[in-house]
Amino acid sequence: MNLSDLILQAVINGILIGGFYAVMMLGFSVIWGVMGVINLAHGEFLMVGAYLTWVLNRQYGIDPFIALIVVLPAMFLLGYIFQRILINRIIERPFLIALLVTYGLSVAMASTVKLIYKADPRVTDTALTGFWNLSDGVGIPATKFYILIAALIMMAGLYLFLQYTRLGKSIRAAAQNKEAARMVGIEIGQVYAITFAICIALTGAAGALISPTTSIFPFMGPVLTLKAFAITAMAGLGNIPGALMGGIILGLVENLIATLVPGVGSNLGITSSFILLVVVLVTRPQGLFGGLKPAEAR
Amino acid sequence: MATLTLTWQRLHLGRWGLLFVVLLLVAVPLPQFFAPERNLVTDSLLFSLTQMFILITLASNWNLTGGLTGYVDFGHAVFFGVGAYGTGILMGQPGWEPWPEALTLWSFWPAMLVGGIVAAVFAVLLGSATLRLKGPYFSIAMLGTFVAMRELVRVVRPLTGGGLGMTLPPYLNRPLFYYLTLTLAGLVVALMWWIRRTEFGSTLIAIREDEVGAEMRGINTTLHKITAFWIAAFLSGLVGGIWAYQNAYIDPDVVFLPNRTVDMVMMTMLGGLGTVAGPVIGAATIYWLRDVVWSNLLLFHQIAEGILLIIIVLGAPEGIMGVLGDRSATSLPRLWRKWFPSTSSESEQPA
Repeated sequence: MNLSDLILQAVINGILIGGFYAVMMLGFSVIWGVMGVINLAHGEFLMVGAYLTWVLNRQYGIDPFIALIVVLPAMFLLGYIFQRILINRIIERPFLIALLVTYGLSVAMASTVKLIYKADPRVTDTALTGFWNLSDGVGIPATKFYILIAALIMMAGLYLFLQYTRLGKSIRAAAQNKEAARMVGIEIGQVYAITFAICIALTGAAGALISPTTSIFPFMGPVLTLKAFAITAMAGLGNIPGALMGGIILGLVENLIATLVPGVGSNLGITSSFILLVVVLVTRPQGLFGGLKPAEAR
Repeated sequence: MATLTLTWQRLHLGRWGLLFVVLLLVAVPLPQFFAPERNLVTDSLLFSLTQMFILITLASNWNLTGGLTGYVDFGHAVFFGVGAYGTGILMGQPGWEPWPEALTLWSFWPAMLVGGIVAAVFAVLLGSATLRLKGPYFSIAMLGTFVAMRELVRVVRPLTGGGLGMTLPPYLNRPLFYYLTLTLAGLVVALMWWIRRTEFGSTLIAIREDEVGAEMRGINTTLHKITAFWIAAFLSGLVGGIWAYQNAYIDPDVVFLPNRTVDMVMMTMLGGLGTVAGPVIGAATIYWLRDVVWSNLLLFHQIAEGILLIIIVLGAPEGIMGVLGDRSATSLPRLWRKWFPSTSSESEQPA
C-alpha cells in the first residue's frame, strides 16, 4: 500500500467516525444551547447507553442496532429523572456550579458502573459486518458505514423535530429568549426536562452505535466529553449541519495525524482536537457556522 | 503587651490571621516531638501533614486565578505535572542517547527551581492564548490542555519514559519534606494575603467583577491575568517538583491524575472562593474527610466523593467562609431555605 492509498483510507475512516462524533456531541450542544448547562457527565451518559446495549447483546442476544429500540426510551427516562432531580437546580446558577455538579455526577456514574461491571474493556457483536473493497487495501468497513447511516437518520429526525413540531419550536424559543417564551405560555420547566431527556436518549443511542467497533469501559467518558466540547465550540450551539461538519473535520484531523505521524497511534487524537479548538476559539469565537444562538460567556 | 496589641492591629490580620500564626507556631516544632513508640507524632502523621500542605498550596495557587481573577481553571494541575516532569527529567537519566551530559543527575534544589520556571514559562505561553477566552471556554480549554499534556508525555517516550514512567533517586527524609511543604504553604498563604491588599490584587478583583469596565479604566487586563497565571503556575510547578522527589517515581497517570485538577476547585469552593483562608480550610477539611471516607468505604469512596462534591456545591456555593460570615444564616431552617431554594421558584419570578 502506498502513501496515497493510506491517506485515502484515513479520509474514509475520518468521515465515517465524523458521523459518530456528530451524533455523539449533538446532545451536549443542544443542552448547552437551550439550558446553558455544560454537561461534563455527557460521556458517562454515553457510557451507560453503551453498557445497556452490551447487557442486551450478551444476555438476550439482541443486535446493537436493534437494541436502539430499548436504549432510546430507557435513556430518555433516565435523562428526564436526572433533569428533575439534579440539573433543574443548576440551570440559572453561575457556570462554575454547573461544571462542578456535572463533574461530580460523572465521577459517581463512572465509579458505579466500574463497581458493577469491573474495569475491563468490552465489545458487542453485530450481524452487520464486512468490508467493501474499493481498490486493493482501500475500502469501507461496513459496520462503521451502518453507524454513519444510523447517525444521519437520528440527526435528521432531531432536525425535523426541532424545526417542525410544536414542542421542537418551544425548545428553540426557550433557547432564544427564555422570558419571552414564558410570556407566550411555554412551560419552561417541562421544556427543559424534555430537552434534556431527548438529548440523553440521543447520547445513549450514540453509545449503542459505537459499542460494536470500539471497546467500552467505565472511564471512556471524559475524552468523549472533551471532544463533544471541541466540536460544539467549532460548530456553534445546537447547529445540526455544523455538528456534522465539525465532527467530520475532527475525524479527518485525528485519522490523518495517526496515519502520517509515525509512532504516535491514536494517542494524539485528543491533543490535536484541542489544538484545533484553541485555534478556532481564538480566531472565530462565535464558532465556524453559527447556531441556535451565539456562543456567549455566561 | 500594649504595644504588641497595637502592632497586631496595625497589621490588619484579624482573627483568621491570628489563627494562622497559632497554627504555624504549633506546626513548626512538631517534628521535634517525633516519637514513633508513643504513637503520637509518627511517620505517617508527618506524611499526612505533608500531603495536606501540598494540597493547601495547590488550592491557594488555584485561588489566585480561579477565585480572585474569576478565570475558572479546570486544568491547573498541568503546571504541577510540568514541574514534576521538569524536576524528574533533570534529576533522573532519560533514555535519549545524545542527551546532553549537563542535563542529567542534577541535585534536587536547582532541579526544583528549574521545574518551577519551566512551568511559569509554559503558563505565559499558554495563557497568552487561553486567557483571551471567556467563562466556560477558558475552563474547558484548560481541561483539554491537561488531558492533551498527559497524552503528549505518554508519546514523547525518549524524554519522559512514556507510560512506563521514570524513577528519581529515592530519598527518605520525612522532616525535610515536612518543613519544605510547610514553608511553601506558609509562604503561599502569606503571598495571597499580601496580594489581596495590594493594587495588583484589587486589579484582579476588578477584572473578575467587570473585565470590560476594568479595561476601560485603562487597566492592561491581559498583562494582569497573565501575571497572576504565571505566579500560580510557578508555585504549582515547585510543588510538583517536591512531590516528584518525595514520590521518587513519576508516570503520566499518577502525575496527571484527573482528580488532582478538580480537587483544587473543590477545596477552594468548599472553603470560599476568592478568600485567603478559604483554600486552607477547604483543603484541610477535604483531606481529613477523605482519609475517613477512604478508610471506611474502600469500594464506594469514589461514588461517595462524587456525591459529596454535588452536595457541597449545591448546598454551600459560598463555602465555609461564606457560611461563617453570613449573619442571616443563624437558624437551621433559614440555612436550609438558603441552601435548598425551592425548585419551583423559577415560575414565580417576574418574567
